[in-house]
Amino acid sequence: MTSEPLERYRNWYATLLRLYPKPYRERFGEGMEQTFNDLLHERRNSGHGLSLFVLWMFAETLAGILRENERSIVMQNNKSLIRIALVTGCILLVPLLGNLFMGWNWPPFAFPLWGALLFGTGLTYELVARKGGTTAYRFAVGIACTTGFVLVFINAAAGIIGDGPVNLMYLGVLAVGFVGALIARFQPRGMALALFATALAQMLVPVIALAIWKAGWQALLIDPNSPHPPFHPGIAPVFGLNAVFAVLFVGSALLFRHASATGSK
Amino acid sequence: MAQKITHTPLTPAVLHILLALSTEARHGYGIMKQVEAESQGKVKMGPGTLYGSLGRMIEAGLIRESDKKVDPEMDDERRIYYKITGLGRAALEAELERYRKVVAVAKRKQLASNSFAYDI
Repeated sequence: MTSEPLERYRNWYATLLRLYPKPYRERFGEGMEQTFNDLLHERRNSGHGLSLFVLWMFAETLAGILRENERSIVMQNNKSLIRIALVTGCILLVPLLGNLFMGWNWPPFAFPLWGALLFGTGLTYELVARKGGTTAYRFAVGIACTTGFVLVFINAAAGIIGDGPVNLMYLGVLAVGFVGALIARFQPRGMALALFATALAQMLVPVIALAIWKAGWQALLIDPNSPHPPFHPGIAPVFGLNAVFAVLFVGSALLFRHASATGSK
Repeated sequence: MAQKITHTPLTPAVLHILLALSTEARHGYGIMKQVEAESQGKVKMGPGTLYGSLGRMIEAGLIRESDKKVDPEMDDERRIYYKITGLGRAALEAELERYRKVVAVAKRKQLASNSFAYDI
């Protein structure tokens, strides 16, 4: 076997190591790459196959990456984590008190679920907002995170387009923003594009839903097993509500563009 | 006054790394091979586990990095070597003492000595 596959695996491994937190990578990255290379050579010289071994190495290293990132987040954001947890707790007190004194009917599983979503949204804001030095950048992140959260909340509570599975398309809207932000590496210019794309995806959802309705696939829009009476939102309100979300995403994109134009991150 | 050891019980990975470094300084691959040999192939660490443990052990003062050097038995790449510290040696001894006591209890209860995963 030539050294070409080894070189390729080593390059892939070096790319994987970029997912470690920067200080960790700077300290141990070179050693890890050398060790991986040593293990590959040993494996090849012993005449064993490489593919499964490399797969195991990647999985094992990926577990390490998750561990170190989690550790880094906890260490660097101790105070922020406490603050987010407190705010989450305070917000969850509202439905709790509603259940106790006002006859609300939040099921028990909703508390940890919404708690996790609120905490996750707060943490995402903290982690992303610090990547930009300007107020515009932080506002842009705040609007994007809040809009994403409200989008999930409304969908989970009632559904924007009827109450059928078609509402799952909104996960795609969030995925566009998330993947776009990763590709942009949170740089403001790229973030602006990601948020414009998210707004576009948001407006595509009712268009696709309308096409589904015209095609006669009503079951996708209205859940026949729903405990609630059938929900038939009109076309204009659905487009209107989606437009509100799209405008918020566009607003966030414009703020990112402003942050980019002012020259800071 | 003897330094109080607060690091025990050690995780299996940390214990094996300390054992591997107890005789000489080693680089990452050297530690892996030594651990594998000393555990008779029962303990296999990947780079993710090894370097994660090394990082935490450095922070805890159990080991330290030494200068980069070439391993004459390998290629000509310069590698970082890791060395056990006095605190690391004391933690290892404390942990081994703890194990001895556990084994003594097991023996008193007449648990079969060959029921361990490998010779200790």
